Amino acid sequence: MILKNITVQNACRRAALTPANGICASRFLHISKPVQSPETSPATSTSQEPVTSIAMRGSNQFSLEHPRNRAEYVLSTLDKIVNWARQGSMWPMTFGLACCAVEMMHMAAARYDQDRLGIVFRASPRQSDVMIVAGTLTNKMAPALRKVYDQMPEPRWVVSMGSCANGGGYYHYSYSVVRGCDRIVPVDIYVPGCPPTAEALLYGMLQLQRKMRRSRKGVLWYRK
Amino acid sequence: MVSFIRYVRNVRRIGIKQWWHQMQNIGDAKAGALAGIDQFGNKYYENLNPDDEIPGRHRWVDFAQHYNNATQVPAEWHSWLQHIRLLPPPEDKVMQNLSPHWKAPWVENLTGTRGAYRPYNTVAPKINAWEPKVTARV
Repeated sequence: MILKNITVQNACRRAALTPANGICASRFLHISKPVQSPETSPATSTSQEPVTSIAMRGSNQFSLEHPRNRAEYVLSTLDKIVNWARQGSMWPMTFGLACCAVEMMHMAAARYDQDRLGIVFRASPRQSDVMIVAGTLTNKMAPALRKVYDQMPEPRWVVSMGSCANGGGYYHYSYSVVRGCDRIVPVDIYVPGCPPTAEALLYGMLQLQRKMRRSRKGVLWYRK
Repeated sequence: MVSFIRYVRNVRRIGIKQWWHQMQNIGDAKAGALAGIDQFGNKYYENLNPDDEIPGRHRWVDFAQHYNNATQVPAEWHSWLQHIRLLPPPEDKVMQNLSPHWKAPWVENLTGTRGAYRPYNTVAPKINAWEPKVTARV
């Protein structure tokens, strides 16, 4: 009687445990095909036309990049040469304020190797193109940041790196922190993260190169 | 010297046209087996021979667009490229089955185009441009 009871209990236990095991196993990795998969999935872009060019259709930038006459052809070519020169040698003014600066150093180090893109840290604002604001911008530092930005020569860009520089981040409600460095200087690229990886910052620099490539100052001047 | 021999060997393998293409994009002459082509036309290569490629450089992508960035690689191929999965997505049954039908199609980073992401926002801007008002001097 007692023995039978125990076997029944064991069986119950086993029955209770096995489906749970089954669920665990299937959650770990599902091997079966998902049900109701459609025959064809609509592709947003094809190899013929990338989605970026679809997004550019009929835009102002598209019209600037396609010259209408000879003068514009010459000017846009000159613009492209200028852009090429600029994007090939971005010299960032390092404004390392907090822990993001460590990741900025990682970008300079051997693994991500910013030097292959022509990015060389320049300690002087008067000879740099890009300012990387890396870290928390405090109220006390803000005048210094603005001063350094004002000292940079004209084609200048600002990369805001990390949550603190983007919008205050962790210190948003602090009494002594600027809620984003875009309150002090105009920012071109925001790199999110706390801190962003060196990879993310490098991707941000590549996006800045992309932004530089879009510049068509000469054509704009001609059309005005 | 070894790398120069490797370079010349790879140029001979891939041919002049492909060499020119690679020097414009990758900046190196790399020869390998084509692992597959994704929906955007990016080509993925692999060469597991340690005499040809340093381990870590043995999988690479040849982008379809000239102005390329890493977001042009869709998620499935990213997992192959970064050695998360062993097999390329066309051969990988698990990867195929893990892609559910409701998954949104892959879109690359559209920053700087009109397709750029803008969050829905109805809040008035907190920061306004400074418009200097000069009071008349007496």
